[in-house]
Amino acid sequence: MNHDFLLLLPVIIVGAGAVLLMLRAAFGKLALDSASVVCMCIFGLAFAAQACSALAGPEVPFKAAFNGMLMVTDFTRVAGLIILGCGFFTAMSSRSYFKENRFGLEEYYSLITFAAFGMLLLTMSHELMTAFISLEIMSLSIYILVGFNRRCVTCAEAVLKYLMLGAFTGGFFAMGTALIYGGLKSTKFEVIASAVATHGFLHTPALVGGAFFIIFAFLFKVAAFPFHAWVVDVYDGSSIPVTGFMATALKTAVFAIFANFLMLDPGLKGAWVTYLFYISILTMFGGNLIAIGQGSIKRMLAASGIVHTGYLLIALVAVSADRFTGSVILYYLAAYSVSTLGIFAALSYLSGAGEVRSQFEDFKGLARTRPYSAAAITIFLLSMAGIPPTAGFMGKFYVITSAIQAGQVTLAVLGIVSSILSMWYYLRLIINMYFHDAHESFESECTVFAPACTLILAVAVFAISLYPITL
Amino acid sequence: MFEHIISSMIFLPIIAGLILLLTPVTKNGARAMALVVSVAVLILGLKLYTGFIGAGGMEFVENYVWFPSLGINYTLGVDGISLFILMAGTVLFPSIFLIFTTKSKGYYANLLIAQGAMAGAVCAGDLMLFYIFWEVMLLPIFFMIGLFGGEGKIAATLKITLYTIAGSLLMLAAIFYLGVAFHNQFGIWSFNIVNMAALKLHGTVAVLAFVGFMLAFAIKIPLFPFHTWLPDAYTEGPAAATFVLSAIMAKIGVYAVIRFVIPIFGAEFTRYALIMAYLGVIGMMYCGFAAIAQKDFKRMLAFSSASHMGIIALGLFCMNIQALTGSLFQIVAHATSTGALFLFAGILEERMQTRKIADLGGIAGRAPVFAMFFAIAMLASVGLPGTSGFIGEFLIILGAIKYNVAIGVLAGTSLIIGVCYMLWMFQRVFFEKSNERTEKFRDLSAAEVLAFLPILVLIIVMGIYPQPFIKKIEPAARIQINTILHNMQVADANALLQGTNLEK
Repeated sequence: MNHDFLLLLPVIIVGAGAVLLMLRAAFGKLALDSASVVCMCIFGLAFAAQACSALAGPEVPFKAAFNGMLMVTDFTRVAGLIILGCGFFTAMSSRSYFKENRFGLEEYYSLITFAAFGMLLLTMSHELMTAFISLEIMSLSIYILVGFNRRCVTCAEAVLKYLMLGAFTGGFFAMGTALIYGGLKSTKFEVIASAVATHGFLHTPALVGGAFFIIFAFLFKVAAFPFHAWVVDVYDGSSIPVTGFMATALKTAVFAIFANFLMLDPGLKGAWVTYLFYISILTMFGGNLIAIGQGSIKRMLAASGIVHTGYLLIALVAVSADRFTGSVILYYLAAYSVSTLGIFAALSYLSGAGEVRSQFEDFKGLARTRPYSAAAITIFLLSMAGIPPTAGFMGKFYVITSAIQAGQVTLAVLGIVSSILSMWYYLRLIINMYFHDAHESFESECTVFAPACTLILAVAVFAISLYPITL
Repeated sequence: MFEHIISSMIFLPIIAGLILLLTPVTKNGARAMALVVSVAVLILGLKLYTGFIGAGGMEFVENYVWFPSLGINYTLGVDGISLFILMAGTVLFPSIFLIFTTKSKGYYANLLIAQGAMAGAVCAGDLMLFYIFWEVMLLPIFFMIGLFGGEGKIAATLKITLYTIAGSLLMLAAIFYLGVAFHNQFGIWSFNIVNMAALKLHGTVAVLAFVGFMLAFAIKIPLFPFHTWLPDAYTEGPAAATFVLSAIMAKIGVYAVIRFVIPIFGAEFTRYALIMAYLGVIGMMYCGFAAIAQKDFKRMLAFSSASHMGIIALGLFCMNIQALTGSLFQIVAHATSTGALFLFAGILEERMQTRKIADLGGIAGRAPVFAMFFAIAMLASVGLPGTSGFIGEFLIILGAIKYNVAIGVLAGTSLIIGVCYMLWMFQRVFFEKSNERTEKFRDLSAAEVLAFLPILVLIIVMGIYPQPFIKKIEPAARIQINTILHNMQVADANALLQGTNLEK
């Protein structure tokens, strides 16, 4: 029980913190600014607890908690660290964002914390019902966060689209769980793994059908082709910090459980690898084609998020049982999260009241008036594009190398071709910021929080690139 | 500092450039700082040059483990091949800071970062380290053309950036492939260039990896038909960016072929050398003819530079010691002459506010010193005996005839095209009648004369007494040639084993 407690300490901190925030907000005892500080404290505390447990080493006496429903490995620990970091920086940039956009309520921070709680549970869950519950905790919080600005029409559109499709996905997941339970009389990952190992994946029809539904649900959540269409509108409609949080933390959590689920048994993964191969190619190129045509930065970033999902799927294809490349997936997620959060943190104080500056054209001449912000955005864009010496470059290095190592040379080459295409829209923003004259002064009454967040993340882009991992 | 002489030459300018960008320095302060840093690098470079033995191997080696799990090391070193490209950059850079004044500190900061990154690309002994510097050296050029370029700067910036990045990303895929192949063959991770030469590559994937490398370098050089970014970038770029691109960055493309492609992809290289030699000749002739037709002198120089890069590339693909030595010599000769010509063109554009040849005329009468300096650089570029251009081109043509008479004759003949456009341009700009615009041309100031003098002295010294330079180049070139010969023998032996005849 002691060990259970230690392993779950970060989750408990985040969960209890979320309830605390909600209660204080309900009684009106908390100002908006202090709510963001409390939220940052919760994430900071949980991050510290998680980091302590991650640094304690790979050997844990009892790595399963709650009768094997939750499983803690190095993989889930690091995924948890990324999620907690995302939460921290989101809370930080939200504080500045709500100085100019006055629809913020104290409950906002409670919802961010609840979503992170669901995500943390999701990374650890080793059983389908737990996964479903945590997926829903996360999703419900995110639905509310997307529609948080009630006076905004695009927000309402975004939340409707996301809620409808997301509810379907939840239904798919539940149906898949039911089918698997019907076939195997258990929802535990261990049981599924041993069933696949002994009889083969295709032996039980209910298992095939269930896995089909569950993998589709995951593909929807990570916005892979052909379930990517919702991303652009939903990201565009939600407020900037929420978009950043969705793009990073949510993707990390879902990819963590996706990898855990696929890695149950080589048979299960082998049955899916061909489909994932084509899905990842289509995701990369489909995302690129969408991104190239966008005029709004948020929409471009949403579409580029699809492309990055494609890269992560490459890593997932390259995963094999004898050589679990979970570190590659997490490294890429960390690199991607840092740069994406960085851009959204910068946008949250640059886009002005009501997000008036949202198009590429609106950022013309930013470097003239705010050289440091422009430099930071450039660093993030270069990292996303994979230009050395940034974290994004190292992430791409690990992904492509692991793909070649797994014999997927075609996928590696197509990944590189896709990143050539993506240069266009990343460069376009840099060109707008630097090579045009300024039309306006980009003044904003922001507090120091979001700029500080941008600075920290810009440093992190280089710091992460220096951290080596083992393939 | 002297134990880490190469590292200092790389990171002194980069750090200085970053400091300039991050602090609110005035533009004059920035210029002074840039000048001081580039002179400091020059002193380090001279120290390195005098300490260089020239036995053929790597010298001044620095080696530190960087990513132990993947065998990526921080490895630096110079040999006869890299030494002269490194020195060309080191010697030429201070003169840019002496000559040009601009309205922004970013200009100098970008130049400094470019200088450091180029030195890094030339000295890197690890593929990943090389790739990092290779990409980083493009960024300052991107910003320089975009920020300080002419009318069509944005189109030109996009063109050069997308073109080069496309090439280098494909090379990146090839680098990853090499890393994995090395791991599969030897059981350890390494990206070291010397280790890579031990790789045994064959099959379609090896050819694809070879194409990945060659494409990146062919775009950078640029080799016909990958040259289409060049006229725009050279014309629209500010004088210093054009200078950096033509004088040094293009040469790093040639250098990289010698350093990476020949040792690692020896078999593929020998197999496709003839095609690439023809591409070199075609590029030479095509860009030469295009240069004749230009109405804009900067654009004409751009095509001329591309034409000369064709002959330097040709020297590589002839695969014999004369041509390779000639190429390496011509790299320095071309860097000095074309570099100087682009700097003169920059001065001309700045003072006359035009790039049209037709708007000019009679400048020789107004500015005799400028005209004389221009003439020396121009004659070196044309390849007049007694200037540096002659030695290199002579050696390359000699090697080309030895390799393939048809190519040798074509290359030799097309040198005449160079004389046509250069002399005709000189006549129209410097002689003929002066007009209102050129009446006001101011001759070079004392500082500018001082900046150009070393370059011109170098042009003449290299033309009259090339021996000391060739002596440092040749041992390293010989090692490369031996690799090629070895590969050819292996290829022959394989062909015999398989019972097929090699077409000779």
